[in-house]
Amino acid sequence: MSAPTIPGTPAPHTATGGSRTHAGTTSGRVRSTLIWVGTNVLHLWPLALVVLVWDLWIVLNNYTALVAARPWDAFADILTHPGEYLYDTWFTMMMSVGGLLLGTVVGSLCAILVWWSAALSGIVTPAALIMRSVPISALIPIIARIFGYESDSTVFVCIVIICFFPSFVFVLSGLVSIPAAGRDLFTVLGAGKAQVLMRLGLLHSVPNLMISVRITAPIAVMAAILAEYLIGNHGLGEMFSYARSYQQWDRAWGTAVIATVLSVAIFLSARWCERKVTDRVT
Amino acid sequence: MGLSPVISASSSTSAPDTRGADLHAGYSGSSDSHRLDPSPLRVSLTDVQKTFDVGRGRTVQALVDIDLDIAEGEFVALIGPSGCGKSTVLRLLAGLDTTSSGEVELFGSPPEELSRQHRLGVAFQEHALLPWASVSSNISLPYKVAGRSVDKNRVAELIKLVGLTGFEKALPKQLSGGMRQRVAIARALVLNPSLLLLDEPFGALDAVTRRRMNSELARIWSEERLTTLLVTHDVDEALILADRVVVMSGRPGKIHHVEKVDLPRPRDTSVTRTPAFHELVDKLTGMLDGAGEDS
Ligand SMILES: Nc1ncnc2c1ncn2[C@@H]1O[C@H](COP(=O)(O)OP(=O)(O)O)[C@@H](O)[C@H]1O
Ligand SMILES: [Mg+2]
Repeated sequence: MSAPTIPGTPAPHTATGGSRTHAGTTSGRVRSTLIWVGTNVLHLWPLALVVLVWDLWIVLNNYTALVAARPWDAFADILTHPGEYLYDTWFTMMMSVGGLLLGTVVGSLCAILVWWSAALSGIVTPAALIMRSVPISALIPIIARIFGYESDSTVFVCIVIICFFPSFVFVLSGLVSIPAAGRDLFTVLGAGKAQVLMRLGLLHSVPNLMISVRITAPIAVMAAILAEYLIGNHGLGEMFSYARSYQQWDRAWGTAVIATVLSVAIFLSARWCERKVTDRVT
Repeated sequence: MGLSPVISASSSTSAPDTRGADLHAGYSGSSDSHRLDPSPLRVSLTDVQKTFDVGRGRTVQALVDIDLDIAEGEFVALIGPSGCGKSTVLRLLAGLDTTSSGEVELFGSPPEELSRQHRLGVAFQEHALLPWASVSSNISLPYKVAGRSVDKNRVAELIKLVGLTGFEKALPKQLSGGMRQRVAIARALVLNPSLLLLDEPFGALDAVTRRRMNSELARIWSEERLTTLLVTHDVDEALILADRVVVMSGRPGKIHHVEKVDLPRPRDTSVTRTPAFHELVDKLTGMLDGAGEDS
């Protein structure tokens, strides 16, 4: 499609329909890419602020390296021992992204069931609300009982539970807000409920779905790290827990840095997908 | 290209495929109905009242005593001041709303039957295009919903007809308001519907495109003889296209006058410049003004 190559820039209005009249010279494209990268880097200023506050906190309290690591020590540990971080970062990333995707699918399916039938709604909605309102820490013992302690499946199930609710709510609100004109059209065309869902409702709900993915993405990383920290065998959370118990502060703070970067990266990717996809369906 | 509708067991004696063969066959219909001129081959609103519930016990009387027949293959235009109930009439015919009392029949069956058989073509005031689908997929939608294979030639023919050649792959957001309306009209026509309902379909078009679409619609209609109800606020448009023009008045909405238009077809400029045409325009415009005042 004639979607813009530079994310974040408004879609070109190709009134000629299909044929591209977008004046995109190579140098112009490189320049706008640089501007885009630059703007996005500037948008990361809160991260720089966090690093600054972190360092000030240590300096002002006169904490020694036995109590906490300064930012540069953590960065140095990452740069000198990248191999130590690689596997656990990869693991946490796969867990978060996998849990996010499965949670989104489960949430969307629940939303479809609720939309489809009032009877199913009576079963699904209370269950979803309970899952939502009971703190995950209270659920962990139950989940661990079923899927095993110190088990990656338990960690994964926790992430899915955390992630499913936003997509449930957002997709459901998308489905119930199908425009009246669209409903009328499908009624007149003689479409049944399944057709309305497949050809109208789901696609209409895609922007909502993408919003839920964007806001859930950092939560998925947080849930993964927390679950790993509490019950896991692998991942950044477990690595942090391990480093802390041996008082390897540069390593512990290094995992925190990596976790932050991972979370931001997953959020930015989700936002990028959201823009791309939403631009295509609206 | 001819539509071969599946007539369900419940739809009495209707034979919609005779459309265009003998326009007036319907008038000699069976005698077992209470109606004066019973015919399964027509569209009819009989003694229709429509009241909307607007909450807190209050109601709006939208339509009173609406009696209207549209013969098979006839083109009827419905004009009237804004808010007089034109869209409500159209929605009743489309089966999107039900009457408070009175009866709506399309070719001897209730309105839902026609949409179930995928024989209804409607272009709404809001074009209701799917924003994620290209022009050609939007026009193909009725085929897909009906579970039929898409007749690519028919789709291409309609795209040409509504003047959108070259825009097949464009998305609705890349089109102007008038182009979107034309897509909606093409979509309404694509399955050769037995009944075509158009609610101010040319509202967003400039005068020139509007006249062009008028003559295109007149041409399609003379070829395919679709039973058509056109809602419009443009008296010229109604007179160029219709066999009969129904003038409604508002609050509550009722039929004020029915004008049979005997002008020769095709009604190109040679007709629209005649004194007879202008007389009719003046007469109906005067009625519209009157209908607006008596509210
Ligand atoms: N769904 C509805 N609920 C309440 N009132 C309605 C509804 N639809 C139409 N009406 C009322 O019925 C009257 C006729 O409306 P409509 O048929 O849309 O008029 P027109 O198409 O001629 O402009 C108006 O007074 C309008 O406010
Ligand atoms: Mg209207």
